[in-house]
Parts: sequence; structure tokens; C-alpha cells
Amino acid sequence: MPNWKQIVRKKLRVLGICSPEFAEELAAHLEDRYEALRCEGLSAEVAFQHTIGQIEGHYRVWLVIRFLQEELMSGLITKIALPGLLTSAVACVFYWALALNHIQPNVIWLAGGQLPLWWWCLLPICGALGALLSQRKGRSRLQRIAAALLPSAILCTSVLMIFVVGFTMSGFVNHYQLVSARLESLGIVPPGFGLIPAAFSLLGAGIAEISTKKSRLA
Amino acid sequence: MASVNAQIKRGSAELAVLTLLAEHPLHGYEIAKQIEEQTGGVLRFDMASLYPMLHRLERKSWVNAQWQTLPNGRRRRCYWLTASGRKQIAPLRAQWRVFFQALQSVTGFQNA
Repeated sequence: MPNWKQIVRKKLRVLGICSPEFAEELAAHLEDRYEALRCEGLSAEVAFQHTIGQIEGHYRVWLVIRFLQEELMSGLITKIALPGLLTSAVACVFYWALALNHIQPNVIWLAGGQLPLWWWCLLPICGALGALLSQRKGRSRLQRIAAALLPSAILCTSVLMIFVVGFTMSGFVNHYQLVSARLESLGIVPPGFGLIPAAFSLLGAGIAEISTKKSRLA
Repeated sequence: MASVNAQIKRGSAELAVLTLLAEHPLHGYEIAKQIEEQTGGVLRFDMASLYPMLHRLERKSWVNAQWQTLPNGRRRRCYWLTASGRKQIAPLRAQWRVFFQALQSVTGFQNA
């Protein structure tokens, strides 16, 4: 009898989404299927090929997509959106508090764009908060990652929309230099306002994850 | 006239599973097998359809699930219908009835 648990874990090792319990359930299904095929008179090799076909190729992709869809959509509001939005709100309040107290943040330059340094430092905290709040509602790692990344996603989308609107407006006035400047800026938006903040948020989420695990072990 | 749920496709699978579980608790493979057998192979569930749906039904508290050790020593996750899930069967059946009546009025097809 093939070790179906091991096979399932190996096949569905995508983003660590496959919990041991889910893997065991799928393995049990495959085990029953394999035995049924053997009882029908199929050879071990043929039965194995038929059975493993259920978690290979497009079936495997479909299974992962469906699982991700269910995981993300089931707790979209409580597990992802609310923690993410809450951490974004905390960041905004902090920014306003600094601005009201006339604290001028230092800035760093990124390919012509600038972001306040304190904001970069705040991102890991936002990511960690998002992940921890999400963890309180559910235990899915994927949902915790999504919660941690949501503030960065909102920021990137907002900035991109501003650029798209600006680009459209500049297209109306037909100002060549303005259009090329917009295009140039568009090149730095996804990394500057999306990928790098996302990486910072993930860093925070990772630290939160490790510290939570350590505290559990202790 | 009552409107048919837009997610009729998903509902059809849910109805089939809920109806089966109303009779007795089953684990995933048995659910898939029984549906296939009872429909002569017309309806088939692959793992990608079945397990996400079972977990969704569980989150809705329409079904409960628990690991059980079978007489042969193997562990299987058995699903059974909750009171809330039982209440869903009648509305789902009604939706399907409406759907088939609507289809019948357009195509003129009759049940055998």
C-alpha cells in the first residue's frame, strides 16, 4: 500500500496551505479509492496511476485553486479585511499624530520617488498586527499572510489609481513631457509602493509568527 | 414567482450531499461513491469539488465532522447533518423544483 499521506503532503505543498488534518483526509480518500480499484481487479501499478491522477495535473491545480478560494473567501471580512484595514488605520493615525506635532519625518529616495523612513519602519509592525489579529479569528497561514499584505495592497492600488487618473488627464492636455514623466513614475510605483512595503509587512508577519510559535512552545 | 438562486450549480451539489447525509453519517469517499452509484455515474465528485464544499458546509454549521476510527483501524473524517443543515434541504429542493419547472416551460421537456 502506498503511503498516501506522504504523497498528498508532497503534492500539495503549496504555500504551506495544506494542514495535516486536510492532508490526512485527502489521503484517506485516495487510500479508499486505491483499494476499491484493486478490488475491481486492477493491478497495483494501474490502480496507483488511476488514484494518483486525482491529485496530479489539472486536478491538482484545480484542488489548490478551490482550496485557496474557499480559504480566502470564507473569512474575507473578519479574517483578512478587518485586521488589514485596522492596521492601516493605526498607521494613518500615527502619521497624523506626527504631522500634528510638526515632526518632520526623514525621507529616503527610491528611483526618484520618496517615502518617509518612519513609514517603512512602521510597515513590519502593521504586518505583524494584521497577522496577529487574523490569527485570533482563524488559524490559516494564508489568511494571516493576506491580512498582513492588505495595507500594502491598498496603498499600491490607491497610488496606481492616482497615477492612472493623472496619466489620463495629462493625455487630454497632450503634454509630451508630462506624459513621459507619468510613464516613468508608473515604473517605480509597483516596487516602491507595492512590493517593498509588502516585503516589510511580511517581515513583521514572519516575526509575529515566530514569536507566537515560541510562546506556544514555552 | 420565486427566483432561482444564482448559485444553483453549487446548490445542486450541496443538495445531493445534504440529502445523503440526512440518511446517515458518511466520510468523504463514501459520499462521492454513493452519489456516483445512485446517479449511474452521471454525477461525479472529484476531490477538488467535494472537500472544499464539505468544509464550507461545516463552516456554515450545516454539517459536523469528526475523526472516527473504523473497525479496520483506519481513521476517517465522518460527516453528519446538523439540525440547521436539515432545515436547508426543503428550501434547496424547492429551488430545484422551480428551476426544473422553468426549464420545462421553455424547452417542453418532460420528466421520464
